[in-house]
Amino acid sequence: MCWVCEAYGDPEIENGRWFLNPKNHSRQMYKIKKPGQKAAAFGSDPESQSGRNIQEILATRFTEQEEFQRLVKEANAMKGDGPFQIGQVIPLKEAHRVVELSYPVAGMSCICRILTRAAEERNEHEYTCTGLGVGMLKWERWPERYKGGVNFMTADEAKDWLTKWDTKGMVHSIMTFGGSYVGGICNCDYPDCIAIRNRIDYGIETNMLKSHYVAKTNYDLCNGCGVCVQRCQFGAIKFEVTTDKTNIDQMKCFGCGLCETGCPREAIELIDRESLPGLKEAW
Amino acid sequence: MTAPKYPTLEIDATKCTTPFDCKLCIQACPQAVFFTHAVKVERGRETDPKDPGAYILVPTYRDKCTGCMDCVEVCPVDALKITFP
Repeated sequence: MCWVCEAYGDPEIENGRWFLNPKNHSRQMYKIKKPGQKAAAFGSDPESQSGRNIQEILATRFTEQEEFQRLVKEANAMKGDGPFQIGQVIPLKEAHRVVELSYPVAGMSCICRILTRAAEERNEHEYTCTGLGVGMLKWERWPERYKGGVNFMTADEAKDWLTKWDTKGMVHSIMTFGGSYVGGICNCDYPDCIAIRNRIDYGIETNMLKSHYVAKTNYDLCNGCGVCVQRCQFGAIKFEVTTDKTNIDQMKCFGCGLCETGCPREAIELIDRESLPGLKEAW
Repeated sequence: MTAPKYPTLEIDATKCTTPFDCKLCIQACPQAVFFTHAVKVERGRETDPKDPGAYILVPTYRDKCTGCMDCVEVCPVDALKITFP
């Protein structure tokens, strides 16, 4: 079981998935935001301590590489209590379950893309991020960074919308805003997404944990068309010339399921990470 | 000790005043090295991207810079300078 599920999941609910535990969506979680307390309310105040801590740690890599690695290691060991927000990749079907559970659900502009690519998402057709929970009702009080407001959606609209970004090739991930409070489902890609970047480029694991699945190719069905190779944001899939089929490196696979949803021959399936002894501790 | 050798990206803020509006270097960079964010933040009001000095450009991921100089070429105000150690 992943450590977030161990800490914040309920074994009785949805196989113990922490992001499907209603407790982690509750209003009470959102309100814990006094200084020094666990929830830093990053979503309501992007200039909060959490963001500064990350930047401070990342800045050390320019001056002192060993110190940087020590800080990252320390932060990883602290898990959810450390300076980094918890994030986890989830496949589309679990993202659909989350929007069924949470209220309200709203489309909004992606903070990462504003920062890294100066991308302006100004209306419901351009929004790529999904905000969840009571924080969305306060959108008018957010600072300027979240441009264009929000677009409230029903659960069914949100599902169609998540499917749209899945089709385009975005990875879905759960983002927490302080402790285990589920604040949103991001639709991410590399290199715009700061969390994926933190994980892949700098080894900050807590920011973007792997999902509860890994992708596996059915070599009888795969015809080597290469669609999955294009869709993988984590560099885990290669086209293997020798076999004329796709090759998935399950050690690198984050289990986002983009290759599965994109495969025209249904040759890729998501299997339970914990069913594989070599991967069950790899989060 | 182990001070790593990374390139220095000097951004002349007196020349580069509206990076969020211009965004040429940010979108041209193959390594996505830059960050741009507002420094004039007012609660409940959007910062005008055309307001000089409201946004700044930061080379957050300069450790990923390869020195292709695409950003330098594309910059209309010649505000960028990259030097490798």
